[in-house]
Amino acid sequence: MLRYLLNRLVGLAAVMFIVATIVFVIIRVTPGDPAAVMLGPQASQQDVADLRARLGLDQPLPVQYAVWLGQLARGDLGRSIFLDKPVLSALADRAEPTLWLTLMSLAIASAIALPVGILSAVKRGTVLDQSVLTFSMFTSSVPSFWLGLLLMQLFSVKLGWLPVAGYGGPDASFATRLSHLVLPAVVLGLVNSALVTRFIRASMLDVLRDDYVRTARAKGLTERRVILKHAVRNALIPILTVLGLTTALLISGAVVTETVFGLPGVGSLVVSAVLRRDYPVIQGALLVIAAIYVLINLCIDLLYLAVDPRVRY
Amino acid sequence: MNFRFPPHGRLCAALLAGALGLAAVPPLCAAPVKGGTISVATVGEPPTLDPMASTADLVGILSQHIFETLYTFDANWNVTPLLADKLPQISEDGKVYTIALRQGVTFHDGSAMDSADVVASLKRWLAMASRGKQTAPLVAGIDAVDAHTVRLTLKEPYAPLTALLAMNNGAAVILPTEKIAPTLAEFVGTGPYQLKARMPDQYIQLTRFEGYKSRDGEPDGYGGARRQYLDEIRFVPVSNANTRVESAVAGQFDYVDSLPVESLAKLKNGRSDPVILKPFGWPRLVLNTKQGIMSNLAVRQAVQLALNEEDMLYAGFGDKQFYKLNGDLYPEGYPWATQLGGKVYNKGDVAAAKKLADSANLQDRTIRILTSQQYEFHYKMALVAAEYLKAAGFKVDMQVVDWATLTQRRQDPALWDIFITHSPFLPEPALIDFPSRDTPGWWDTPRRNTALKAFNQASSPQERVKLWAEVQKAVYDEVPFIKVGDFNAQAARSPSLQGVVPAPWPYFWNAWKRSDK
Repeated sequence: MLRYLLNRLVGLAAVMFIVATIVFVIIRVTPGDPAAVMLGPQASQQDVADLRARLGLDQPLPVQYAVWLGQLARGDLGRSIFLDKPVLSALADRAEPTLWLTLMSLAIASAIALPVGILSAVKRGTVLDQSVLTFSMFTSSVPSFWLGLLLMQLFSVKLGWLPVAGYGGPDASFATRLSHLVLPAVVLGLVNSALVTRFIRASMLDVLRDDYVRTARAKGLTERRVILKHAVRNALIPILTVLGLTTALLISGAVVTETVFGLPGVGSLVVSAVLRRDYPVIQGALLVIAAIYVLINLCIDLLYLAVDPRVRY
Repeated sequence: MNFRFPPHGRLCAALLAGALGLAAVPPLCAAPVKGGTISVATVGEPPTLDPMASTADLVGILSQHIFETLYTFDANWNVTPLLADKLPQISEDGKVYTIALRQGVTFHDGSAMDSADVVASLKRWLAMASRGKQTAPLVAGIDAVDAHTVRLTLKEPYAPLTALLAMNNGAAVILPTEKIAPTLAEFVGTGPYQLKARMPDQYIQLTRFEGYKSRDGEPDGYGGARRQYLDEIRFVPVSNANTRVESAVAGQFDYVDSLPVESLAKLKNGRSDPVILKPFGWPRLVLNTKQGIMSNLAVRQAVQLALNEEDMLYAGFGDKQFYKLNGDLYPEGYPWATQLGGKVYNKGDVAAAKKLADSANLQDRTIRILTSQQYEFHYKMALVAAEYLKAAGFKVDMQVVDWATLTQRRQDPALWDIFITHSPFLPEPALIDFPSRDTPGWWDTPRRNTALKAFNQASSPQERVKLWAEVQKAVYDEVPFIKVGDFNAQAARSPSLQGVVPAPWPYFWNAWKRSDK
């Protein structure tokens, strides 16, 4: 077990190195200049060149890369060009809305997907099953920005129940902040519920065909007990995997949804950093996101031990 | 549409009520009330709050509430004093500016503003601001005559100086000496509002500066009295244009800046009122006079002949309420409006253009148009321009990139032939970037240099207007860029927000919130 964990952590370091290199190369070969964006349209070429020099962007790429790797080795993700603060601190500032959004979306996605997926598998081939499949196909193919604008139109513009954009002002209460998250969470919850529903249905269908389910039924257990105690528990491993991946995707930034709803989360930070060519933020944010992704996957693998005693590392 | 409100609200209300025989006071004439907080949705997060460090409009919009300049612009776009006591005393030879400062002005940290602060601030401006660097080669020295007088000496006359000192981006703002640094750690100014908190991409919170000393008299554009009715102003970045429209329709913000023109019908049915700034600015095609196909004057003139600006404006804005066909570089209402009508404008004469291009004996007729969809109207106008150019026998290589890429690529003359940009009508021609030889386009000819030198050195305003017409003629003959027309801007305000004047850089001193109780 310890050996397994060590191996995974070494793997994490390797992934980080690869991600760091790829991200560095990609954003440096992408045209665009943070100095020109920062100085505005009237800035002269000399002003832009001066600022590039001040930011160290005039150095050869290998030098910039070596400087960045050196910083990483010291646990320093660099300093944002635009926000003028450490990247880690900029990410920490954005963590709150993203974390709440992740939790709320995951709760909504699970609340929809678990009962619907199980029911759809149990009632396979019925009108209910077909309706679930059609609905999940629809929600997975709907663009999140379109769904966001539609819900915004109904609940914010027509009914005036919920705010359109932002995350509340400096004196906003916790409830106000949560109210800003309701619509984006519903959008993400609906979109992600489609995938989770289909996974749950497929996993349940596999399990329902297994011998132990037939045995449980032969023992005279009620159908409810067969499904909930025997089938669902055994179907959990693939479900955990997909929930883990969904969580990682949500934490790593629901880029489009956060932008549409003007939420100051990790996703919108990455988008604005790309538009401003804030290299340190793009690099740092993507690195942290990759680390979270890998760590969540590790946690899911460890959770398998808890839900399935047959699993051994 | 103009939301200018008379200062004597009560009198106005009484007169109107009397004249109309009404018992209730119409809200239009409600007296200003002190108090309240407003939220303003902006197009994004400013790259900095230091107005010297950037010429971005957004930086100017926000920071003009915190910082002030020696001069500013009145409602007719004339330079008017702000921190200076009056307009400068200029020596006979036009080289020495003696600037008397207002007394009793304090910074947000409580310290008094004096000539030492002004000298230090102007030196920083000359050293680091784009507009300051433009002026620096002409400056012989800046010194304090006494505690409330500053003298600025030029090497040669330079008439745009006061306008440069008045601009709110790349701005010559006055800072306390002890806070001056290459990168500002604290944002301390003399403005009517002070910075309380900044959460990047979430909000910028400004509160009333109780020690503010307003000018006497009445508000007059950016000049005159600045009244602090509001307790607090919060700027909230909402980068998605559709979201800004929906938030305006839902009435979430008190003011929503920069809305797409096609949202007008939607706004009219919503909880905010549209605010239209007419005219706002001018889109233009900048031609690369330094390198490539456009360095040939005949080709530039062929492009000028081929284009149909009316079609381009229609494609860009879709509704005549939002654009006007106008070849003059300034519209009516500005001192610089020349009414030349544009010598070669909106011709769409592709046959004549083809003939002219043929005379240039070109090996390759490919024109690279650099544009961005970040500003939808740029892209749409580029599409129309491309069709006219193709009809005139050119091949068009449309390079659609994001704005950050465009701002980088346009710096390299080898990468483009035409790029599309726009700017608001700036109060003084010297504030526009095109006359500079160093900006992309690189217009640098004897005629340009002679016309601009005469314009910059003339001292009388009337003479300057005449000389500006000469610059404009040079632009039409040498075609360093092509103005497409005038366009209007749209914003929205809550019905309860009063006293907001449509302006290219909206400001909220003098604004107040009507109580709906």
